[in-house]
Amino acid sequence: MGYFVELVVSGLAIGAIYGLVAMSFAVIYKATGIVNFSQGELGMLTAYTSWSIATTLGAGGIATVLIAVVAGAVIGMLCERLIMRPMLGEPVLSVVLVTIGLAVVLRSIVTIGWGAAPHKFEVAGVDAVLDIGGMGMRVSQLGVIAMLAAALAGFWWFLKYSRFGVAMRAVAADENVARLMGISTARVQSVAWACASALAGLAGVFFAVIYGLSPTIYELGLKAFPATVLGGFDSVLGSGVSGLVIGVLENLVGGYLPSTLKEVAGFFLILVVLMVRPFGLFGEKRIERV
Amino acid sequence: MTLHLSRLTAAALVTLGMSLPALAQQQGVTDTEIVVGDILPLTGPPALLGVAHNLGVKAAVAEVNAAGGINGRKVRLISEDDGYVPSRTVQGVRKLITSDKIFAFTSISGTAQAEAAMPVIKQAGIPAMAPITTYEGLYNPTIKNVFAVGYDMSNAVEELVSMMADRYPGKKWAVISQDDDYGENVRAGFERAAKAKKLQVVSTQVYKKGQADFSSEILKVKQSGAEALMAGGVLGENVAMTKELERIGHKIPVGVTYVSRVPASAKLMGPAGENVYTVDYVYLESSPQGKAFTEKLGKYLSAEEMPKVNRYSYTGYAAARALFEAMGKCGKALTWDCTNAELAKVKNLDTGVMTPISFSATNHLAAPKLLLLKADPAAVTYKAVQ
Repeated sequence: MGYFVELVVSGLAIGAIYGLVAMSFAVIYKATGIVNFSQGELGMLTAYTSWSIATTLGAGGIATVLIAVVAGAVIGMLCERLIMRPMLGEPVLSVVLVTIGLAVVLRSIVTIGWGAAPHKFEVAGVDAVLDIGGMGMRVSQLGVIAMLAAALAGFWWFLKYSRFGVAMRAVAADENVARLMGISTARVQSVAWACASALAGLAGVFFAVIYGLSPTIYELGLKAFPATVLGGFDSVLGSGVSGLVIGVLENLVGGYLPSTLKEVAGFFLILVVLMVRPFGLFGEKRIERV
Repeated sequence: MTLHLSRLTAAALVTLGMSLPALAQQQGVTDTEIVVGDILPLTGPPALLGVAHNLGVKAAVAEVNAAGGINGRKVRLISEDDGYVPSRTVQGVRKLITSDKIFAFTSISGTAQAEAAMPVIKQAGIPAMAPITTYEGLYNPTIKNVFAVGYDMSNAVEELVSMMADRYPGKKWAVISQDDDYGENVRAGFERAAKAKKLQVVSTQVYKKGQADFSSEILKVKQSGAEALMAGGVLGENVAMTKELERIGHKIPVGVTYVSRVPASAKLMGPAGENVYTVDYVYLESSPQGKAFTEKLGKYLSAEEMPKVNRYSYTGYAAARALFEAMGKCGKALTWDCTNAELAKVKNLDTGVMTPISFSATNHLAAPKLLLLKADPAAVTYKAVQ
């Protein structure tokens, strides 16, 4: 039983990181109707930017989280304004291809700017191991689980009660009608990119703190993708929860089956789920595929 | 008219006669210069080793040039970046041979990359040093013009596990390795050592390349009752494994391959690296030889380049030194055949940065002597055990 619980708990820690990235995919999809394939790269660039700022300032845990949120939001807004805004009104496929191009550019920027060598993202105290019922957990791992919980609660409130959240849902429901009602599509898109990038940035920073900072962080996008598909592309909260499901599933597969199956477990799960619910566990039926 | 033609013929003969020595000279060699090339990952994550390696070669080139060159000819290095992509390696190798017309290769990138480029290099007959990868295809069977500087990875793992088994007798062992040729080498070496030392192996796991989280693998190691682990990752994977062991409080000795023996690895592991062992044929940066080399590098590299130096700078320097030594023995009549023949005669060459290098006509793998090292978290490096 102890072994099973330990597998589940450590799966929740990596799953929370997937969940944050999965939520970021869903936020952009919900507001703009496109899948942003540069989500992992946005997380990576935010992690590097946050590392530079946090190490310069000698920031602690909470300050580092704030830096990640602000840096992620700024990077997201800049990408939206400079690259995605000119694509407004263009075919969805073209916009999606631009996000793939953006991913490649961001990877290059990181390697040119910070080099390829891995670095330790040191934040005082977060590497410490806490004993929780005889089970060791790092402060950073508990932190990312708490962060996902906060993000889920925050987005639930934001989408349900805030004026901007309602506007975002209106744009997602029908862009033309929303525009006729006076909602600025461009503004909604900009906020969506900022929020998504901040979420991916948080995931990138937590991943870097736990596993080290290296340009391979962008692969988080690929790892979190099954969670978004599982949860439903238009379900921000469902994607977040599905991240936890994928993380735990991977760990249980790794713990009880040959380890090589661990990395494909998430993709296998979405194959099965999509056969039953093509729009994901929490998504709406009218999803349009590209 | 006849006289005019004769004069023309004579002039042509004189011109041809003057150009004959040049025609006889091997490509990449002029009266004043020898052009050498290398192809490495200078961008992307593996650039950690590619850039460092390139700096070692640069230092060797600068050093030989400062001493007057090789038999009066200055050496010029052309470096190509393959981004660790085999197709780009083949392209770069072709460019260096046919367009840049280099005389020799000081390095030919990683395992899959060298494997892809080997038919071109073999067919050309151009002298090629292979100090980054030592996969078996480079030296078994012997290729006339290819010389690997390093140690066979599976043999290195065998030595490491054997040395650790002697240090920690009677322990139950686990091995975690990658699902590629690198992992195969780790498993092969581990299995040989386990058989020879009669080790009790309680857990064998293979993970998918690119994996970052090793929590389930390490929990499985603990669950199996393993008391020693051979962590067969490249760099980040080994760091993740040791940190997971620290997290669950399972303090056991861990072996990692020398690929991980870079300062970044020791720094990333931090206190989790307390029980980590490796073997290496390259001297430690903190050793007297390492300190002397750092001083030498300081003369030839810039302040921006110095922080990028690691053990791969040592291997780059040593391989280039072996190549230059062989080229030097050919005198003025420098040819590929002569260089290949002289390289096969290199015996106990002490480059000052690793244990001595030797080749023979039938053995083109230098296989320097291995040293057992242990991570030193306090100094963020490794220290010699024996």
